Amino acid sequence: MIDKVFDWLDARTNYREILAPVRNRVLPHGPSWWFTSGSCLLWVFVIELVTGFLLMMTYSPSTNSAWASVHFIEQSSAGAFIRGVHYFASHTLIILFGFHVVRVLIAGAFRAPRELIWITGLFLFPLILMLAITGNPLSAGQHGMAQIEVEGNIIGSTPVIGPILQRILIGGDEVGHLTLTHLHFLHVALLPFLVIGLLVLHVTQVYKHGITNDNIGETSQPAMPYWPYQTIRNMTVLAIVVGTIAGLAWTRGAPLDAPADPNLSLMPRPEWYFRCLFELRRYFTGEWEFVATLIIPLTVMLFLLSLPAIDRVFPRRASLVLRSLIVVALVGSWAGLTWMSYATDWHDAEYLASESDSSDLADRARELADHQQIPPEGAAALLHADPKTQGPLLFARHCASCHSHVDPQGKGIAAAEPSAPNLFGFGTTTWIEGMLDPERIASVHYLGKTELAEGEMVSKMQEMFDGVEGDELTKLREQLHKVARTLSAEAALPAQSEGDKQDADVIASGAKLLAGKLHCIDCHHFREQGELGTAPDLDGYGSRAWLLGMISDPQEKRFYPDDHNDRMPSFAKDQQHPDRNLLNPRELQLLVDWLRGEWYVPSASTTLESPATPIPEMAER
Amino acid sequence: MNESISNLPGLDAASMNRRAALKWLSRLMASACSAVIAIPGVSYILTPLLGRRDQHAAVVQRVARWQDIPVSRPMQFPIVGNRRDAWTVHPDEVVGRVWVVRQPGQSASPAEGQVLAFSTLCPHLGCAIQQDAKSGQFVCPCHKAAFQHNGEKVSDQKLGRKNHAPRGLDALECHVVQDDTTQEWWVEVTYEKFEQGLTKMVKKV
Repeated sequence: MIDKVFDWLDARTNYREILAPVRNRVLPHGPSWWFTSGSCLLWVFVIELVTGFLLMMTYSPSTNSAWASVHFIEQSSAGAFIRGVHYFASHTLIILFGFHVVRVLIAGAFRAPRELIWITGLFLFPLILMLAITGNPLSAGQHGMAQIEVEGNIIGSTPVIGPILQRILIGGDEVGHLTLTHLHFLHVALLPFLVIGLLVLHVTQVYKHGITNDNIGETSQPAMPYWPYQTIRNMTVLAIVVGTIAGLAWTRGAPLDAPADPNLSLMPRPEWYFRCLFELRRYFTGEWEFVATLIIPLTVMLFLLSLPAIDRVFPRRASLVLRSLIVVALVGSWAGLTWMSYATDWHDAEYLASESDSSDLADRARELADHQQIPPEGAAALLHADPKTQGPLLFARHCASCHSHVDPQGKGIAAAEPSAPNLFGFGTTTWIEGMLDPERIASVHYLGKTELAEGEMVSKMQEMFDGVEGDELTKLREQLHKVARTLSAEAALPAQSEGDKQDADVIASGAKLLAGKLHCIDCHHFREQGELGTAPDLDGYGSRAWLLGMISDPQEKRFYPDDHNDRMPSFAKDQQHPDRNLLNPRELQLLVDWLRGEWYVPSASTTLESPATPIPEMAER
Repeated sequence: MNESISNLPGLDAASMNRRAALKWLSRLMASACSAVIAIPGVSYILTPLLGRRDQHAAVVQRVARWQDIPVSRPMQFPIVGNRRDAWTVHPDEVVGRVWVVRQPGQSASPAEGQVLAFSTLCPHLGCAIQQDAKSGQFVCPCHKAAFQHNGEKVSDQKLGRKNHAPRGLDALECHVVQDDTTQEWWVEVTYEKFEQGLTKMVKKV
């Protein structure tokens, strides 16, 4: 019955005759494991096509939606796996291509009449690389976008046609929507189209002329049919390769960087397969750079293309030696340059720090995207509004010329020449206790490097401890701890909110000490007592409003008016023209929230981990 | 094949001229049809070259008060403007950054030429120039191009290696101006972008 259906089909389409070359393919010297590389490459490419088609269903190329859509793919059913396969298969393709070229070189399989197989194959290599280049930035992540920007500039520095090509690729002179739509077009339409076209030519030529293995493996084997003797070998290798790809995709998945943001700088590096060119460029500077990026790769390509002609000049044995030398030279220089490039970076603390920052940022971006909604402006807006991300940048830019922000382990943002208090944990009990310690207050972490080192606060604190010993000292320290708790409660820090509730009694008695026995209100204002204008207001000390006011204008009456202020600038004094201030209202709020450890923490992890704040362990009570 | 076609009974010698003409006419019509698609197609692809160009009006911005800038210590400031990206306009976004360096000398009264401003874009490939903590020089994180505080590139000899910078940092127009109402002195920078990879500064259009 079923035979009759096929007979009917054959009578109309003639398919048996068309497929005959495939079904009756014969290997004149028998099957070989060496022949598996081509078939494996073909099927990995098919995997790329299929997974690529699937990803196309969801991906949306534009600067606001690209990252968000890729993040959505990661959340889709099997999305992360499919994206992972697409990612790892692309790397596999490049590795397998290397093997395939080396095999063909050693086997001398480019000789007449197989020149066209060799030439089409060689042209496939840059196309596969271009598929990788155009694919990497599509997620609009930090690395990908930085890479395409630099790659655009590399194209642009090619003499004459460079700037034109760059403009067309980037879609203007800045990376943006059109860069992504253009890359998308190249990646899913033009390049696959060209690859398939070349592949058809390549594979039909292989069928016409057969696989050859002149120099490797047994040549005395009898002729054998391709199916299933070669096929089983092909499938064994393919199964190992696909298994590896699937394993990597399942366990590690494709990376997803933080969404690209020109404000967050990065030390861009190319992918591993381009590290050799990256390294090569170090030796060609200025106007000679295109020698490294264009002339050398082009020369290698032209040399390989003309190999069928060059090979004819040499006797057979000399040719084998020559080809082996070419393989050693190509693989050796590639490996050497690549290794040198990585070795440089592995010893570069700055680069490693930048990569670690970038990976932290990626984690944060995914965390925010997982738990909050991505706004229409795109995922970068989540990071823009995140105090945890923006705080350190703003602090480094505006505050770190005087203030440090380093934890007791010495980690954080250190001022080159600290001349103002270390603001790590500002407003916490621990921080305020240091301020109330006669030795620490005069240290570099507090007022030691300011004009206030000579001021009343420091001298009063030292007087308070003068001649106090034994039980008296313990008692004084206990009282000051209570005051520190009271003042710290004024800050209403999110990380201390539980503790503030529990310690209500301590806080109340601290308030009494502050106003009474310890005479703080002689200079400071606190709860209707004391005067403003002589020392900072203790009402709401370290609270959001207090910090906003202090940073906006430290000269204001509540803080350090007149000559009480050392040299802290007013960062947002001009209410009429917020744009003329050093910090705009948004930046100011981000900075204050960061200093106070106030940012979004996914609720699930708050109970598991310690709160993600820069506040040190509270003093043991 | 060809012979059997030309031997078809319907074809006599007289029809051969007509046949050649028909062949040419067919080719012509096919070319015309292709051109109808190809010419607009090429033009469409070249949109970034031929189409509407975003007017790259330089952004003139007061970046900081004169008094807030320390002498000889480079400070970085953002330039805020409207950024057009194909079909969207991002208002009030950071469109670029500048390094501002106040020159040593009398700082009592601000005067022209005492403040230099440079684009943070590396003239090599456009990475963001940073200040090296150790040497204090401007250094590009990508290929370690190095520049002095006056924007000139550090010589290969001094650097002990090749400097990738094709030219010095892009110096931007920079004035110290007085505010009409507050009488405060401000550093005003004219922010523009220049083509990367060239030995001379050429404005991006």
